[in-house]
Amino acid sequence: MIYIELFLSFVKIGFTSFGGMSMIPLILDEMSSHGWMTAEDLSNLVAIAEMTPGPLGINCATFTGTQTAGFLGGIVAVLGVLTPAFTLTMLIAIFFEKFKESSVMRRIMSVVKPICIAMILSVIVTLSSTTYFVNSVIQPFSIGIAALMLYLLIRRKWSVPVVIISSAMLGVVFYGVLPMVRG
Amino acid sequence: MDNIKKGLSIFAFFFKIGCFTFGGGWAILAQMEQEFVNKRQIITKDELLEMVAVGKSAPGIMITNISLLFGYHVAGVFGGICAVVGITTPAIIILSIVTLFYNSFKDNYWVHAALTGIRAAVVPIIGSAALSLGKDALKTPPAVVICLTAFCLSLFVGVSNILLVLAGIVGALAWWSVENVKKARAAANKDKKQAEPVAGQQ
Repeated sequence: MIYIELFLSFVKIGFTSFGGMSMIPLILDEMSSHGWMTAEDLSNLVAIAEMTPGPLGINCATFTGTQTAGFLGGIVAVLGVLTPAFTLTMLIAIFFEKFKESSVMRRIMSVVKPICIAMILSVIVTLSSTTYFVNSVIQPFSIGIAALMLYLLIRRKWSVPVVIISSAMLGVVFYGVLPMVRG
Repeated sequence: MDNIKKGLSIFAFFFKIGCFTFGGGWAILAQMEQEFVNKRQIITKDELLEMVAVGKSAPGIMITNISLLFGYHVAGVFGGICAVVGITTPAIIILSIVTLFYNSFKDNYWVHAALTGIRAAVVPIIGSAALSLGKDALKTPPAVVICLTAFCLSLFVGVSNILLVLAGIVGALAWWSVENVKKARAAANKDKKQAEPVAGQQ
């Protein structure tokens, strides 16, 4: 049955990957070995997953499942990719809540938390280099939008959804209307 | 009964967050910080960072792992499931629709323009969360050194996140053991000093 196969494939992908782009090679392996998708489908998949909200892994699973076996296929693939969260992470959550006050756990967290901040900073640098310098050309409108949104987030305490919607509108103005007017 | 009520409101929160999580998932941090740390004060910044650290290190998708940890913290197993289902439902709905209209969607001029705008906002969104969480997590000099070292290793050497966290855990365990050995020795010395005069009398 295709549903069971899809489910098992995504269980495997879920357990062996750590989310984000790291899932792409694993998905490609599974999809091509079953003959469900080509490499070209996969690059479309990445484009779609990037331009829609939600976790990349969930988006990938929905797209692959839907393309392969319709709506139900999408659901089955998502359930597969969520299996590690519902099993292993659930166990970790139970364990963590129990032991987080212990002295070992406190010491571990005191080291892991700064590492976590470092990971976020590293993501910021990587994202900035691809967003604000496209093919080594500076994007003044994008930098302007970013500066404005940073101000609104920190000083004006705007919420993330409002910031996203405002930036989409600014994007339409600067990258849609403006080039048209300029001709 | 209480947990069911809590679970449903967790589902609603995460459904809303799921509609606006662009940019590879780290943006969820900013939203959780605004919603649960600042506005509702359900968790502290420290607890949020702990959830991120654990969620990032567990296999599977970081965002769903963090959602599960938060849900479990607030309302047990049921809460955890509600959070995960909440954050994934908008993604499934939107993706199903987009997949249907994929061909007319992918080359649309206006969609492309709006997405370029959204992409520009992802860095400040993640940055605002990093700023506020960093203020709390980087209070001591060792924490700053650990953060800078990990940052350089990640950016310039290309060490993966999982490896960084594992190295951190191993380092922390070593640190903790050394501390404990020192404490044990100090305690043993104290005992000896107290015990000696007694032994001398006998």
